[in-house]
Parts: sequence; structure tokens; C-alpha cells
Amino acid sequence: MLLRTFLSSLLPVALAASALAAPADLLAIRVGRAETVSHGAIEHAVLLIEDGRIVTIGADLPVERGIPVLERPEWTVMPGLVLPYSRLGLDGRAGAEFTPEVSPAAEVLPRISDYRDALELGITTIGLYPPGNGVPGQAIAIRPKGDTLEEMLIKEGAYLKVYFRADARSKKMVKDAWAKVDEYDDKVKKAKEKWTKDQEKSKSAKKPAEGEKKDEEKPADKPAEKSGDAGKGAAKGFVPPPPDDKVRPFLRVRDGKLLPLVSISQAADWAHWLDAIGERKFDFALRVVMQRELDLYYVLEEVAKRKCTLVMEPEITYQIATMRQRNLPAEFAAAGSRIVLIPRGEDLDSHAAWRVDVGDLVKNGLERKTALDALTLAGASVMGLEKDYGSLEKGKVANLLFLDGDPFEPATKVMAVMLDGEFVHGEVRQ
Amino acid sequence: MRSAAWLFALAPLLAGDVFAQEGGGEPPAGGEGDAAGADAPKDEGEWFAVVGGDVYTGTGAVLRGATVLARGGVIREIGHEVEIPEDAKRLDATGLSVYPGLVALNVRGVANRLGAGDYADSFDPYSQNLVLALAAGITTVSEGSVALKLKRGEVKGVVMRERFLSTLGYSTSAPRSKGELDEKFAAAAAYLRRYRDWEEQKKTNKELKEPPARGVDPSIRAILENRTLARFNATTRTDLLGIARLAQKHKFRPVIEGAVEAWTVADELGRAGAYAVVVPRSRRDKSEELVRPGGSSIENAAILHKSGVQVAIQASSTFIDLGGIAGRDILHLPIEAGFAVRGGLPEQAALEGITIVPARILGVDHRVGSLEVGKDCDLILLDGDLLHYQSLVQYTVVDGKLVYEKDKELYYAHIRPRPSTQPADAPEARRDKGEEEVKASDSEGEDKPEDKPEEKPEEKPEEKPSDGASDEG
Repeated sequence: MLLRTFLSSLLPVALAASALAAPADLLAIRVGRAETVSHGAIEHAVLLIEDGRIVTIGADLPVERGIPVLERPEWTVMPGLVLPYSRLGLDGRAGAEFTPEVSPAAEVLPRISDYRDALELGITTIGLYPPGNGVPGQAIAIRPKGDTLEEMLIKEGAYLKVYFRADARSKKMVKDAWAKVDEYDDKVKKAKEKWTKDQEKSKSAKKPAEGEKKDEEKPADKPAEKSGDAGKGAAKGFVPPPPDDKVRPFLRVRDGKLLPLVSISQAADWAHWLDAIGERKFDFALRVVMQRELDLYYVLEEVAKRKCTLVMEPEITYQIATMRQRNLPAEFAAAGSRIVLIPRGEDLDSHAAWRVDVGDLVKNGLERKTALDALTLAGASVMGLEKDYGSLEKGKVANLLFLDGDPFEPATKVMAVMLDGEFVHGEVRQ
Repeated sequence: MRSAAWLFALAPLLAGDVFAQEGGGEPPAGGEGDAAGADAPKDEGEWFAVVGGDVYTGTGAVLRGATVLARGGVIREIGHEVEIPEDAKRLDATGLSVYPGLVALNVRGVANRLGAGDYADSFDPYSQNLVLALAAGITTVSEGSVALKLKRGEVKGVVMRERFLSTLGYSTSAPRSKGELDEKFAAAAAYLRRYRDWEEQKKTNKELKEPPARGVDPSIRAILENRTLARFNATTRTDLLGIARLAQKHKFRPVIEGAVEAWTVADELGRAGAYAVVVPRSRRDKSEELVRPGGSSIENAAILHKSGVQVAIQASSTFIDLGGIAGRDILHLPIEAGFAVRGGLPEQAALEGITIVPARILGVDHRVGSLEVGKDCDLILLDGDLLHYQSLVQYTVVDGKLVYEKDKELYYAHIRPRPSTQPADAPEARRDKGEEEVKASDSEGEDKPEDKPEEKPEEKPEEKPSDGASDEG
């Protein structure tokens, strides 16, 4: 290792995508500008990368002697793009009506070239969702590189995909799903009462040890609390009956551990979705299917009030029955919602045009800061990965996209891409 | 002090109002206010006041410069010295005429359904046609067999009543079905007599069995029990006469749509207590073979009204129709009513024909169709007389919420914008204001000098010159 450091400081070593420095190596990168997303832009930024993570980032930081430095003052670095909503590389298997437990992991073909193409465009994190109407299942988060699914997989249960439309079937589906949750809660409550009674009967304290972990899943709502009051001290060893596969995801939704991503396509869908969920309080994000004409401008305030993140394409739409252009992503952002912008399609061209499409919205009034967030951190946040991905911050995974200029300019080219601290694309000579 | 507050809380409705208003103004009274709220759970929701308009209640009364006060979507008070709570939303109606929201029968495509199933599950509360209907002053419609409230941006409480009308076929050209209908009514009536006898006898003899309802048409039974109304579609004199006699014989009130030649048998229909749904502009030639009067008459509605028939007015087109001959679709309901007035119908009856009478036909007159205390706060504000073709709906209120404001609506803001909403800094607007003061007594009365000037539609400046020009000319 010493030798290697010595060599690299003496003579320039070409690091091709295949021959990389070991991830344990320290590497300093000095660039003209860093778009951190979380803390604005840093001019003359220095990033220190170790073990696949960002150790430090700051302006004009001194670099200790012996640490290799990549000097690229003409480059701009930003976090690798996060595409949380995609079917890239998956076959078109249609999902069933109500299968909240399904994951698309089985569909992933690890070596498919689509992933490499995406990676070369700077897309370093992808959320893959299961197809189908209704509640087709849960998304997975992957890194677009690896020989096996295990190597690619970042997270299972990234979010729960829900397809909702203003019709009787969709509303019934949502109501039924929650009715099942209530049913399960009742079951737990009864089991617990019974358990408490049994416990009091036989005062012999026999506590099953494996109960501890499952206790987490135990609903913490009012009926459970009430029954908990009766025998609080003894409640520790209680093992709730295991929930049904179709109920478990919704229990996680209720407990804030799984985020439903609800697909809607018009303002009426939103109104009926609110009607369907009624008084239930849980977080959810919205997937807005962009069409030429979209009447979602009616619900800007309401959506913002609910603090929903919106996943949408960077498209200018028209006010219904008019030729009035509306920049809905910008309008939602201005109203206070967080937005995630995804490519217009699944093909290479759409992915290549992604940044520039977002740039068009910026030219039409979307805040630049919001646009950068929409390409990276907001998407990571939808998948529950904001702690490790989506911005240039100390401690985050070193997924970096190096550009030769402003991210939103059409002429800007990708110079290099770093995934987990390794350069996976671009000719990088130190 | 505390006991005094309790007295207030337990006092009847009006006193309750006063208390609630005071409570709104004085935060320290909050504790007692909560107690009052628990006692009277109906005292909930937002206050909404339409202040200073000429209120046409639809019951015959006109209150000039009056206030309509609503809470939670229900009218609480109408009058001149109404105390308005401080937290009430106010709508300045100075110079405007306030009418009950219009009720349009048999429309299509206004309350859009987006998918299969019930209106409650797939009503589009943002559809363009909904906005157009609200702009025309329509707040309640019947589509299919459902009475719907045109709520904007809300999906709860849209369906007001389902299947209140049951349609029956009656035609003199099909004598057999005509006879069968008569028999059905007779059978149902006989059954009801048996049923009532049984109810009486049951009090003394509990063993007695309920009379069998076999062979009794349930919809006819419902009509005779006044649970639904019988709807007919009839045009000719003979059919209308037959329906009138059938209704008199079996003692039910028919709703007759079409009713073109009804003026020739108006007295019989009046005796039958019929409702007529007419299209005043519909035309039908007299049959040349007959000597007796026939064909359409512009006086149809007027004659029917004079004979005691309740006349509802319907537009000739059942949907929003922007092609063809203008002014015949449901967006021009008041114009259609205006034609009935041209034929001699009193203006009050014409107003009722597009408000309370259709509401009765739909079985929702306890909630909409007129402005009365306890009814839904569905009202429209116009810059002139409702039946005048130049009047425009300026505001529409449904359930005590402003759902349409002409000057802010993309399609309507540019049409004769109200001068007061012109931007204050535009020199053109200032000149308009000067003129407007001189013309303040103008019969059109569309001017409202002190409106909220802070908000205005974007395209307003473009429209200004044409407005100025028309004012000068």
C-alpha cells in the first residue's frame, strides 16, 4: 500500500473503470466548484474520500502530504444522480391487483448494459418499483453496478407503490387495506388480553426471550395502549400474533417505516385519495403522471399542507383546455412541497437529457437549489436513504458526478463518475 | 359571571348565536365557549357572511341591502341588522343581487364521473364543466337519477339524493300498457288499504299476519306512499290529459316532462297537483287534423302557473354545448326562464321555476332552492337581475364557501371586468373609476367601488382598453 501511494504521487497513473484504487485508500479531489445540494455550492472545493465515503469537504482545505490529490480546477462535482422511480432493466411483468409484499428484486438482471449506461450518465442510485395497478408491491434501491443482486442491492422496501385513481375500485382497495390493519390490531389486543389473564393466572414468570424483537412491530395506537395499561409490567414477554403478509406493509406504513408512493394523474385523484384515507395520519409521497394537460394547479396548497414529496417528470404542462403553459414542478416547489424530478422516459436518450430537461424548468422559474435537490437528495429521501446518499456531506457515500460545467447547461459533459469511492467512468489521471 | 354564560349557552337558537358571536370576539370567554359548543354540536364550522346585497330569497321576499349569514354551510340569519362575528368571512355584495343557487334538471356531463361506480367515488370536483356550470349560477343538478351538489374541490356530500323520481311510461298510442299502469296503481292502492287496516287491527289482535305484498309494484307503492315522485314524459294533449286523470284517480302528484301542449289542459293538470318541466322555447306545430287547440305556446308556462301547476324550467339542451345556436344549453337557464316571462309567467314564478320547483322535484327542497334560515348556503351574486340577459354571475357560493369568482376565473375574467378590480396604478383604470362615479346610478348596477383591489387576474391589463371604450360609447 505504501508503495502504491508512493508510485501514484510520482508518476501519473491512469485509473480506468476496471483498474481502481482500493476503496480503503485515501483520495483528495480538488475541483473548481462543488454543488453540495445540502449546503449550497462551494468554490475551490476539496473532498477527501476514504473507504467509499466522504470524509471531509470544504473550500481550499489543506491536503496532508502523502495523500494523492486529483487536481481538476475546471470541473464541477455534484452528488451522483438519484433516480428513485424507474423500471430500468426489468421486464414488463404486470403486477397483480393487491400484492403489497412483492419486491421487484427477482426481476433484476445484474449485468444488463442499461445499468452501465445509466452509471456513465452519473446515475448512481436507482429505485426500482414493481409494476401493476393497485398496490403492486415495494420498491428496491440499487446501485447500478455489480455481478449479483446482493452486490447491487442497497435497500429493500424503499417505498410502497400505490396506484390510485378516482374510482370505486381504488377507493375500496385503500379502505380495505386499512380495515385489515384495524382487524389485526383487534386481534393483537385480544391476544394480549388473553395473555395478560393467563399471566395473572399462572404467576410463574416464564418469559419467552425471542419476544423482544417482535415487540417493535406491536401497534402503538390507542386500543393497544389501553390494554397495555392493564398489565404494563408484565407486557414485556408478550408475542403478538404475526401479521398477514398483506397487512405487514401497511403496519409499517402506519408506523412511519414504509413510505407509500401514491400515483395520481389529476386533481380529482387527490381529492378522492384524501377521502379514502379519511382521518388516518401517515406520511406519503405522490407520483404525478405528467400529461400535456394537468389540473393539479388546483391542489398546490393542499399538497403542500400535507408535506408530500412529489415525484414527477421535468415537463411544462398546459392549463386545461388552454395554451397556457404551467411549470407545475416550480409551482409545487413554490407552494412548499418537495419535488423529485425523474427522466421523462426509461430510454438512454431520456436519461441523457434528464439534467437538461430539469435545466429547462430552471429557466422557466424553478429555483436552482430546488432543481439540484430534485435530482439527488429529494429522491434519496423518498427511498429513506437521505442519511447516506444524495448530497456531498461528511460521512455520506462517495457517489460523485464530475462535470465540466454547470449541471443544467446542455453543453456540459460528464467527465467522470465515482460510485462508492471508486471511479467507474471517465479517464482519471492524477 | 360563569352562571350567566351557562344561561346563554342553554338559551334557544338566537341567543346561542349572540353568545357564539361574542365568544368569537373575546378570547377570554374560551372556556365557557367550549361548554356551549358541547351543548350544541351544530354550532360548528366557519362563519360566512354575504353583506349588503339585494337578497332575492326565492320565497317572494326581496330584502334590499341585507345580509345573509351562514355557519358551517347552513344559513343562520337573513336580515338587515345581522350581527356578524369577527372571524366570519365576508363577501361584500354592495350593488349586487343575491339569489338562491339555480337547480338544473336532467343535465349530462356537468358532474363528471372519472371511473366506474358511484358519484361519491369518482366525482371530479375540479372539472371544467363544473366551473362553467357554477359560472352560470347552477349549484345543484340532477344527472341520471341522482341529485348532486356542485361542490368545487370537495368530494364529500356531493350526492344529495338518489332515485327520487321513478319513471313511468304512459301513452295513449299504447293502450295496453296504459291500462296495465292503471291496474298497477289500483292494485297498489288496494294493498295499501289492506296494509293500513292490518296496522289498525294489529293493535288489538297481535296474531294477525301482515297482508302479502305479492303482485304489488314496489315503485308504484313508493309513489302512493309519497316516497318517490312519478315522472312521465308526455307532449300531446291526450297523453297529458290521461296522466292528469290517472293522477287524480289514484291521488299522486305527477312530474311531467315535455308538457308542450299542457297549456290546453292546464286546469286538469292543476287539479292533479302536477309538476310540469317545460322548455319555454321548444316548438311544436299544431296537428292540422284537429280543431281543438294544440301545438306549443309561448304562454305555456304562464297558463300552467295560473292553473296551479308547479312549473320547472329546463334548457333545451341537456349538456354544456358551446356549438350550434348559442344560448340554448344549460348555461343559459335564466334566459330560458326569461322566455317564459315573455309569455306572461310572473318573474317570481320564473325564478321558482329554476330554483325551488326543480328542488322539490328532486326531493331536495328542504336543503336548496331558496334562501331561508336552516337551508344550505348555496347562493349566487349577480350584477343585475337574474333574468336579464346582460347580467353576469359575479360570485357563486356553495355550502357557505366561495367557489366561483368571475374576476379570478380564466374564462370569464376578461368579460366586462368590474372597474373596481382594475389595478390601482394603471392610469386607464383611474380614468375608469372617475367615470364610474358619475354612472353610479346606472341601471346595470355592476359597479362596486370599494372591492378588494389587492388581487386581480393576470390578463386584466389586456382587457382594459376595450372596457374603457365600451364605457365611453
